[in-house]
Amino acid sequence: MSSRPQNQGSPEQRVGRLVARLRNHALWDSLLIFSPPLLVAICIAAYCHHAGWIAPLTLLLLGPTIVGLGFFAVVARYRTLIPARNFAAHLVDEKTDAKDRFLTLSSIQGSPQPAPLVARLRGEAAALLERIDFRREFPYRIKRSFCWSLSGSLLAAALFYFSMPLAESRLRQALPHENIREVAEKMARQPRLLGLADRLQTLAAKLQQTSVQEPEKRTLIHQALEQIENQQKKEKEKESQDLLGEALSALRGLEEQSGRQQKEPAEDGGGIQSGTADEDAGKGQKNQGSDGAKGERSAERGNDPQKGKTARGDSKEQGKEQSSQAEGEKRSEQPDPNKSDKGPGAEVTGKTRGGREEKPGQEKLGRSRAEEPPRDAPPAERFYKPGEQGKGGVKGAGYVTVQLPEEMAVEAKGEGTIGNPAKETKTYPKVPVSNTPLPAHVPDAPAEKQQLPLEYRGIIR
Amino acid sequence: MEPEKFQEVFKRLEAEIRKVIVGHDDVIRQVLIAFFAGGHVLLEGVPGLGKTLLVKSLSHALGISFKRIQFTPDLMPSDIVGTEVLTETNGRREFQFKQGPIFAHVVLADEINRATPKTQSAVLEAMEEKQVTVFGESHALESPFIVLATQNPIELEGTYPLPEAQLDRFFFKLMVAPPSPAELREILKRTTGAETGDSAKVLPDDGGRLIRQMQQLLRQVLIAPPIEDYVVRIVHATQPHLDNGNSSGSPVKHYLRFGASPRGAQAVILGAKGHALADSRVHVSYEDVSRVVYPALRHRIILNFQAEAENVSTDQILAEVIKQVPRA
Repeated sequence: MSSRPQNQGSPEQRVGRLVARLRNHALWDSLLIFSPPLLVAICIAAYCHHAGWIAPLTLLLLGPTIVGLGFFAVVARYRTLIPARNFAAHLVDEKTDAKDRFLTLSSIQGSPQPAPLVARLRGEAAALLERIDFRREFPYRIKRSFCWSLSGSLLAAALFYFSMPLAESRLRQALPHENIREVAEKMARQPRLLGLADRLQTLAAKLQQTSVQEPEKRTLIHQALEQIENQQKKEKEKESQDLLGEALSALRGLEEQSGRQQKEPAEDGGGIQSGTADEDAGKGQKNQGSDGAKGERSAERGNDPQKGKTARGDSKEQGKEQSSQAEGEKRSEQPDPNKSDKGPGAEVTGKTRGGREEKPGQEKLGRSRAEEPPRDAPPAERFYKPGEQGKGGVKGAGYVTVQLPEEMAVEAKGEGTIGNPAKETKTYPKVPVSNTPLPAHVPDAPAEKQQLPLEYRGIIR
Repeated sequence: MEPEKFQEVFKRLEAEIRKVIVGHDDVIRQVLIAFFAGGHVLLEGVPGLGKTLLVKSLSHALGISFKRIQFTPDLMPSDIVGTEVLTETNGRREFQFKQGPIFAHVVLADEINRATPKTQSAVLEAMEEKQVTVFGESHALESPFIVLATQNPIELEGTYPLPEAQLDRFFFKLMVAPPSPAELREILKRTTGAETGDSAKVLPDDGGRLIRQMQQLLRQVLIAPPIEDYVVRIVHATQPHLDNGNSSGSPVKHYLRFGASPRGAQAVILGAKGHALADSRVHVSYEDVSRVVYPALRHRIILNFQAEAENVSTDQILAEVIKQVPRA
């Protein structure tokens, strides 16, 4: 019954009404596609405002912007979806099996055509239109695009919702003094904890200052921790206990973070493994020598004897030494193993490390400084002479790690052999070649079998 | 004229021709469409399929004058169009134009590819201009005028393939296929018995006027601009040298030397209109266009050597074109 008025009018008018209906569908489609992301965007903005991440003014600007963007998107989408008259006529043709009668009628309007034929065609089309009801034949159906939009928006919202706690905690970690300030504010509400709250506020303020040095910060944190622990022991109320626990955990987190920050730059400096025989060479030494490989490499390449000598046992020269190590590391990237910048520096760095942060028990290091050979002495004087007590052959040095080319090392020692070439197995010397005492200088010794690199000439004969 | 009258005459003509010709319903319909659209038809098929009989039956049913020209290599243009002959009347000698067999409503040009190009081209002016010029004097041909030419795809020795320009003047090129077993049985029944059927005359004595009215009505059939646009796009898509969206690997680019001419588009539209009227409609549908694209364009697109080597037919190319060109 409701379709009665719709069935009135010429086929062209009815096609026009179908066009209006399809336009409504297009509008709904456009609205439905963009509504879910718009709503999600607004919700996220509101959440951010509620969480205090964005200022009210920002929200005021952001809200209309989102709505405006959504409006333009809807309009743009709607404009592309607006059905043409011929499209609507084609749809009716398909539904009524009219063999393009409606298409012809709707597209020849306005052009001079033989009236009898047009009248006949109109009559045929009208008869066909009796068969269909536009509401039944062309109902609004939710498009798949809406489902995609909805699911995508829901997914985005869910991701936001579940990632928020993580982001919040990250944010809190990033601003520890804020965390402490927050706890302090809570503590300030309790008269018994007022003093402690003031101290925490002061601590937070100091932590925020860039002028305060890291050790001072750590001391302050330690003090605050002690005070809170003391207070916690005294407190009996659960609420206060909780607050103090919260403050403790915040401070401990801060302490850990501070510790990490201190470690990181120290680790960046690289390290030296070679050198002293002492294993307990001190904390600074540990930091430096944390990377064994680096240390070895730097020992191989530190070649500036002058620098080595000046640095030996002199903590002021530590900076220089570190920079030389860094240089050594940089050079290590160059693949040429026979570079002339290798050599005695390795020995030097080994000694230097002994010189830093000496402990009372480090006798060897002390001795090494005392037994230091004269600066300009020839290499032979730097070795123990027969009958002298000492290990390793070199005066004042525990050992020196020198990486030799494998074959040379084997030849020199005669201990390692290159296995069956077919099997490709290699036997390496068990004792580091560099640690063996150097043979006494024999003037009439046979000529070297193989030319040694220059840097090893003074050490290996 | 009323569309109903057209449909009535058309259906009666179809029925009368079918009395003689077994099968070939599409060919009969398309010959009639071409006739009412004012075009000429090239029928191609092996000998003995009833091509000549079809044309004779058509002319008989229409009740209009019919002439047959058997094309041979020694046929001269004057044998077709006519010539001036010296006559003596009352003691005066003068040249008088003696009309050739082209002066008829329906002309059957049997085995047109057996005549020399010179003779073939004599038919060109008659087909296109509906007039012939002899010794500088033009002679109009009587309307309606239709040339129904036949050609044999085999026995090509000693033949002269029709030039493209002449092929383009044919409205439709129809392929006459061999009959199916059932059709063959029916042919035998009709032709080997005691009684042989013959088509009856459908049109009245003033059939020429009625035919002209029908031709006029066919041109008035409604066609929607989007359908006209579809035809344009189809014809345009057959051009291998134009930037018409055909990719380099498309059959059009690969197998065609030349695409369809504007005459092809005209033939498609008029053929579709005739098809619509024959189908009791006063408007053209996409389906009508699809039905007449093959007969209207198959002889207007020229295959290249590659296509001939690979035995690719023009109908295959047109099928691809129709598939590629969207309707809306």
